[in-house]
Amino acid sequence: MTAQALGTDIKEDVMVLTRRSFMATTASAVAAAGYASQAGAQQAPSDTIRIAFAARGNRTLDPAASIQGADNWSITHIHDVLVTSPPGTFATKPEEFVPQLAKSWTMSPDAKTWTFQLREGVQFHKGYGEMTSEDVVFSLQRAGDPKAGGGNRALFDNIAEVKANGKYSVVVSLKTPDPLFIGGTIQDYSCVILSKKAVTEKGENIGRDPIGTGPYEFVSLDPDPSKGIMMTANATWWGGKAATKNLHVMYILDTTARTLALLSGTVHMIEGVRAPGWTQSIQQKNPSLQFDVAAPGSLFTMHFNMSRKPLDDIRVRRAFAHAIDRDAIAKAMAPISRRTWGLNAPGFPGGLTTEQVPAELRYAFDPAKAKALLAEAGFPNGFAMEAYTSQREDYKSVMLIVQELMRKVGVTINMQVIDHTTFHANNRKDMNTLPQNSSAYPPVPALPLGDNLAKSSEVKADGSGGTNYSHYGVLIPGIDQILDEAGNEPDFNKRLAIIQRAEKKVMEDLPLIPISTNGYLIVRDPKVKLGYEVKGGYAFWPLYKATIA
Amino acid sequence: MGMTIARRLIDAVPTLLLVLTLVFIAMRILPGDPALAVLGEHATQEQLAEFRRKIGLDLPIWQQYVSFLINSATFNFGNSFANNFSVAQLVKLNLPYTVELTIAATMIGTVIAIPVGVASAVNRGKAIDSGSRIFSLVGYAVPDFFLGAVLLIVFALDLGWFPINGGGDGFTSRMWHLFLPALALGLIKAAFVSRLTRSSLLEVARKDYVRTARAKGASERRVVYRHALRNALLPVITGLGLSILSTLSGSVAIELIFGRPGLGSMLVGAIETRDYPVIQAGIVVFSLFVVLVNLAMDIIYTLVDPRVGEVS
Repeated sequence: MTAQALGTDIKEDVMVLTRRSFMATTASAVAAAGYASQAGAQQAPSDTIRIAFAARGNRTLDPAASIQGADNWSITHIHDVLVTSPPGTFATKPEEFVPQLAKSWTMSPDAKTWTFQLREGVQFHKGYGEMTSEDVVFSLQRAGDPKAGGGNRALFDNIAEVKANGKYSVVVSLKTPDPLFIGGTIQDYSCVILSKKAVTEKGENIGRDPIGTGPYEFVSLDPDPSKGIMMTANATWWGGKAATKNLHVMYILDTTARTLALLSGTVHMIEGVRAPGWTQSIQQKNPSLQFDVAAPGSLFTMHFNMSRKPLDDIRVRRAFAHAIDRDAIAKAMAPISRRTWGLNAPGFPGGLTTEQVPAELRYAFDPAKAKALLAEAGFPNGFAMEAYTSQREDYKSVMLIVQELMRKVGVTINMQVIDHTTFHANNRKDMNTLPQNSSAYPPVPALPLGDNLAKSSEVKADGSGGTNYSHYGVLIPGIDQILDEAGNEPDFNKRLAIIQRAEKKVMEDLPLIPISTNGYLIVRDPKVKLGYEVKGGYAFWPLYKATIA
Repeated sequence: MGMTIARRLIDAVPTLLLVLTLVFIAMRILPGDPALAVLGEHATQEQLAEFRRKIGLDLPIWQQYVSFLINSATFNFGNSFANNFSVAQLVKLNLPYTVELTIAATMIGTVIAIPVGVASAVNRGKAIDSGSRIFSLVGYAVPDFFLGAVLLIVFALDLGWFPINGGGDGFTSRMWHLFLPALALGLIKAAFVSRLTRSSLLEVARKDYVRTARAKGASERRVVYRHALRNALLPVITGLGLSILSTLSGSVAIELIFGRPGLGSMLVGAIETRDYPVIQAGIVVFSLFVVLVNLAMDIIYTLVDPRVGEVS
């Protein structure tokens, strides 16, 4: 099957199966006829950038508790971190990072002690005083609190101690060496600097009335998602006042409503949909729309539950790898999707490029070889298996393709599509045969490997385990030793070499298949200029340079 | 009348108790962990345990049930698991939008349906009847979300007469935001109610008292509106009552398409994230609506046909 044909098949499947996709296409098709006649009355004001996300509403603006990507846009505009990547990219080498609240930083030779020199005179919003080392110590300790609710708390596990060294200097001591501490922890949204005074004063309410030092100051949060969050430019921001006066974050879950809001000019930017054909259909309606994709975005992996037969057989797992045309999947999901070989995306530290992967570990698309491997494993006529996937578009779209490709080599996957909450809950109870995961990782090479494959992350039937759904490291040991070795290596380049060894071992053992990376997509009205090009980074990027023409 | 209302309200108590109990059981057997839904798939066991402790999910099930009943009876639903807003605040935000949408859609539906139904019955077999039948068939066949999207594209996007998104602020803005979603639901409601009116009126038209009225020389207008329609309205009122209830709980798609707040989408979102307090509050409010709408229908029956009141 060609990529184009495959894309068409997928499009048909998804569009027929989901109301939302169907409606998106219908809306887009009808909208095409009348786009030129939009009413001026609906245009968003030119001093306010309005952006709409695919979510039911804000959950929290507390960085230590946030798990919803859409909320992180607001969090990172209200607050600053100590050090970050240049706008629109992920810094992948230590020298590429740029200062925010820290004006400089140093790493000890053993990569276990990091010292940050803070900017002086930076003020928290609304009169909460000057940002000092006390606030930084407080913020890092709070983010690492084992009982805190955020999704990224594990990033702080390696911190042994944070202490102030005078009013404008902070020293962070780590348990094990980490030459990528800035990339993994410091620049994360959960590591933004909070006002100790404000958090102490407001308690849990800080999640709905945040105080930061960032380019935009929080104004209001309305439980009505269509009103969302209002922010206004911080006139005294250390980086200079933001180019546009206000930032309005809205939540419009429905794809049709969100698309129409963009086409009508009600909003300037919307979160895109990670489904085959969506981008192309919108592009047809208005070719001048801008598509900003932060690559690599989320890593989509399909795990083999190796505690279930016949997935314990490496020949069966290799048959899957040869039967699934990952290039075609990436093309079908264009422009958001990219091919990846390992768990670290190409271009990320530790990520493998095509040339670095031995030919036999590339598992080229070869249905005949897949059939031969199945026959060798005792399944000349294939077999049937049960599995389930989430109703979320990115999961379902990919798994419908996988299902179809596997059917062609004789493997029938009876796929149940279930709601996203149940899907994850069941995965965490070891109930799925082909669990999938879609997670965005910072460029910290050990993180996806540890998260998905370490023995300590092994999934447990009682739900007390982690996200190692394949039972790798237990049923096939060895990965933990390599990860420990990497963790104890202070030299950046040597650490990457060890990580690449781990990646190759994973490719040999195939406890999972990294299907693709799916970038985060924002569709932008061309009137809005960001002031830089979005090439990569987290699923949020700064708008303080953005202007509306 | 007062006694009837009081009796109906007292009768509703065991119904509500049963509904609440079923909701409590359903939420506990529903797959999916609220702690995981709120904290995300990468949450550690320590975080999950702390969350469960904080919201009382670690308590014995009977204690959770008792606390659930007490909270429901006192309308104290606490805070949403998902966003920490007070549930009362969320209901207070969403309820008016749902009520105004339901009332407006019912008004539009009724205003269109009754004349169309009457005209269709009076002109049975003629072009106007065929036209009415086509209108009804289309209304039955077109899903509300599709009609909503078409109206949105034509009148909001292309012509720019109405806003694309949201529920509006202030009376004028609210009405402006309300019109298209109410029209989408109202047109579909009209299709259903106009057929009901037509068939009910045709049924009544065969009755002796209608023939007698004609024999007495009453004008056709008087026969239709004074004698036939009034008696034909009882099943129409029943149909409208059911239709109101389905709009109250079933306008989720319209709320999503138009980006409107509303109880339906609040409840669906809460179910997705296993947000127990919001689900509980939503179900209690919907149950109360069922009781109140049924009560209102009973009262209207009595007004339309005093014999109903005499019997009860």
